Amino acid sequence: MDIKLIQAQIETDLANAISPQLLEELRVKYLGRKGLIAELTASIPTLAAQERGAFGREVNGLKSKLLTLFAEKEKNLTGSIQGEINNNIDIGMPGIAPTLGSVHPITQIIDEICGIFTRMGFCVVEGPEVETENNNFTGLNIPLEHPSRDAFDTFYLKDYPKLLLRSHTSPVQVRAMKAHKPPLAIVVPGRVYRPDAVDASHLFMFHQIEGFLVDENIRFSDLKGTLSLFAKSVFGRDIKMRFRPHFFPFTEPSAEVDISCIICKGKGCSVCGRKGWLEILGAGMIHPNVFKHVGYDPEKYTGFAFGMGIERIAMLKYGINDIRLFFENDLRFLNQF
Amino acid sequence: MKVTYNWLKDFLNIKISPKSLAEKLTMAGLEVVSLEEAGGDFVFEIEITSNRPDWLSILGVAREISAVTGTKLKAVNPKEPKIKVKGIKPVNISVQDKKDCSFYSARVIRDVKIGPSPQWLKERLELLGCRSVNNIVDITNYVLFELGHPLHAFDLDLLNQETIVVRRAKPGEKITTLDDQQRLLGPETLVIADNEKPQAIAGIMGGKASEVTARTRNILLESAVFNPVLIRRTRQKSGLQSESAYRFERGVNLETAKLASLAAQGLICKLASGKPCGYKSIGIARSTDPSIKLETAYVNRILGSTISAPKIRQILKALDFCLKAQRKGAFLVKAPGFRQDIKSAIDLVEEIGRIYGYPEIPQTLPAIKPNLNICGQRDIVSRLKNALVGLGLQEAITYSLIDRELLARSGIKPPAQLVEILNPLSREQEVLRPSLLPGLIRCLAYNLDRQQEYASVFEIANVFSGSAGSPEERLSLGIALCGSRPILTKQGLVRDEFILLHLKGILERLFNNLGIREYDFSSQGSGLVNVAIKQQETGFMLDLNKQSLDALGIKNKRVILAEINLEKMLSHINLDKKFFSIPRYPAVTRDISFIIKDDIPVQGLLAAIEAKGLPLLHSAKIVDYYQGKQIPPGFRGLTVSCVYRANDRTLTESELAPLHNSICSLLEERFGIKLR
Repeated sequence: MDIKLIQAQIETDLANAISPQLLEELRVKYLGRKGLIAELTASIPTLAAQERGAFGREVNGLKSKLLTLFAEKEKNLTGSIQGEINNNIDIGMPGIAPTLGSVHPITQIIDEICGIFTRMGFCVVEGPEVETENNNFTGLNIPLEHPSRDAFDTFYLKDYPKLLLRSHTSPVQVRAMKAHKPPLAIVVPGRVYRPDAVDASHLFMFHQIEGFLVDENIRFSDLKGTLSLFAKSVFGRDIKMRFRPHFFPFTEPSAEVDISCIICKGKGCSVCGRKGWLEILGAGMIHPNVFKHVGYDPEKYTGFAFGMGIERIAMLKYGINDIRLFFENDLRFLNQF
Repeated sequence: MKVTYNWLKDFLNIKISPKSLAEKLTMAGLEVVSLEEAGGDFVFEIEITSNRPDWLSILGVAREISAVTGTKLKAVNPKEPKIKVKGIKPVNISVQDKKDCSFYSARVIRDVKIGPSPQWLKERLELLGCRSVNNIVDITNYVLFELGHPLHAFDLDLLNQETIVVRRAKPGEKITTLDDQQRLLGPETLVIADNEKPQAIAGIMGGKASEVTARTRNILLESAVFNPVLIRRTRQKSGLQSESAYRFERGVNLETAKLASLAAQGLICKLASGKPCGYKSIGIARSTDPSIKLETAYVNRILGSTISAPKIRQILKALDFCLKAQRKGAFLVKAPGFRQDIKSAIDLVEEIGRIYGYPEIPQTLPAIKPNLNICGQRDIVSRLKNALVGLGLQEAITYSLIDRELLARSGIKPPAQLVEILNPLSREQEVLRPSLLPGLIRCLAYNLDRQQEYASVFEIANVFSGSAGSPEERLSLGIALCGSRPILTKQGLVRDEFILLHLKGILERLFNNLGIREYDFSSQGSGLVNVAIKQQETGFMLDLNKQSLDALGIKNKRVILAEINLEKMLSHINLDKKFFSIPRYPAVTRDISFIIKDDIPVQGLLAAIEAKGLPLLHSAKIVDYYQGKQIPPGFRGLTVSCVYRANDRTLTESELAPLHNSICSLLEERFGIKLR
């Protein structure tokens, strides 16, 4: 009997088996207890002694080949059965998935902004929220008894004279500069505190991001270029930006930075107070007095610094009209981000 | 501060519209926050930065417009009149401490006719939001707004002996100020007194006793320079804000003090037919400020611009600076007297940049040299947050300041010493929180009140506790779970009520994600579980007791909390990964399902299985548990899945069976399990 011929026949039969039922019939026919393979095996003792070995090996080879072929065929056929079942699923039914939370919108904005600056080469550093009067004020060229301090109402601690809750992230400038030599390129996100009466646009706690770059030959034009890149990254390429002269004790020259209103595109609306511009941050060249305070040579080094309120950016970007929403932590608010 | 278009025009010809003027002022650093048409004029409201007291006047703003638009300022220099009246004794002035008052001048003007101001003057004051009183008071206010220097007029006849003493108040001295308030004074307050008693709080408000009234005939007009810090302290302490104090605090100057006095006298003579009858002043000549050396190259090095030396000269001259050219491109610059803010070359750079125009300065990108050694731990905290979010938790941000009562109600043990706020605005800002949990619990309660079935939140922020020297501030992770999370499965909805094991699962995932091994959860009873990493206590988990839940108004829900000392936890992070080759031979899994008394902890049981199963047992895990109908009371049903594997061969039934059976027997003997 030609085993090869048998195998070819079976292969043809298998190819024609288009349903599991047909496949099962073939399995019985060939591999079943009374099937062809069993028949062939049973015939071995009837053969001449010298033929038995070779024939036995051929039958075994065929058997294992068939087992593989049947298994493969079965896999193919059941695969298509699964396909049929899937077609019966009502895909309008809800999807099944584990719950996914989200990070707070303030964290998202901080991450986005820190991401932009780290791509430019800045490092992210944080500082303590309880600060010294020195780091928060004097080291930043804010004299203790000067009207420039009026902008920084401050929480003081009861049992710790000269300690306060930082009213801005700028003290980290002083800390970083005292700890490291230039060049420095740092952004500082964090919580800050001011005893402001609470309303839709004021809170006693909010977040800022501070950034500063110190090296030889850092110029105001670098500040403009850097912040322009930043504003376009956050608010879109079409945004216009303007630098307005302003006063901060720790920078000179100083500027307030406006972007064209993202709501009305600069035409004037209620969000921008009909001005067409939105103030988003304060910036300037680090004052030589700040360098002197930390022991940097103001003749050798120059630098720029900028700072912005995160809640304000988030409110503009997401169209949020009440700052208190950020810390009420209503899940119906948080889930939207 | 407000200025009007027509008033400005007294000082220079403005050829541009109010709207473009507003734009120009804004771009020069005088931010016009509103522009309104009123009474045939335009009122500009300008935000004046605290460094520029010289801008707190019509003249100051006009001066700036002159520099920005290149229009010449009309000269302002009234002449000292010749005194015609004779035989009048002069006023005596004595200044106790010149540090408190570097200049004091008094003019005597007699025979004034008190009456209403002319309409034009009234209108101008009203446009600026100043109420008209009478011609004398109005004139002092008019000059204040026009020139920026505060003046005060006393009724000369009500002063004792026509003597002026500038001194600190004596302890217990009192004054009734113009607002009819009696005020107790002290040595920290500077007063203007006659021989007898204080007649005005210097620089802040006049006294009722020598007020100019309808009966006044002769006046004494004060123009002085007071110490800004002193005025600021008194203003803060007394809460008395006035236009006058506002300007003195920011700093006034000698030249304007003299000019204002003269200008006011001129108006009083003109509008109240007063007769100038003498002038006396006492004061120290202002030490001349040294010239500042300025190099063109320095200006451009700071600004990144290419402004020429002639342009620099032109800008500074327009701002009334005196320049002396030195060698090429360098100047010696002297600031005018009213520019007390100019102290060094960098201040001049700002002036040049401002008038040249910030928009004209190019944009460049700096070459940044990153210093990776100074990066903080925000990246790792971000990773932590993302892992928690992936586990279904929502990040919350709650206030760092809380009230003591919330802390007490939340059932969290406070540290020995809380950090208190000296000047809270409300009770909610009493203390710096020692734990994140009170805020998170409040967040849960808030959301449950708003019909949320469940809430699972976390926060990563600093917590504070009192300690000697300075408070301790450290990063903490708080997690709060509450309610039943609906989980949809193929079989339908399952409500999964949060219990401590959920939190354990979350922490285990977190630890594994960060390469933290050797952690341990140990129950302390009453729903408290300590969390340790490498035997170091790192935090705790808590199933909040009913008493606290009641106090917080949370009904019929369990609240599961955890707080982890992140600084300790982060110190154990190990992100060095090493690849272990994937097993070449298949594993064999054998499940053991059994019932066991429910007071036998499973930890020992698993440890026993692991010890017995060596070396072929790869892992033993509880994969299912059950309590219910088929399990007798006091027992629980468990399924432990044992995975066996060898690295060099496929395990055979003959070598596996005896080992697995010996594990089962061990469990029966030592733990009294009954196989199901």
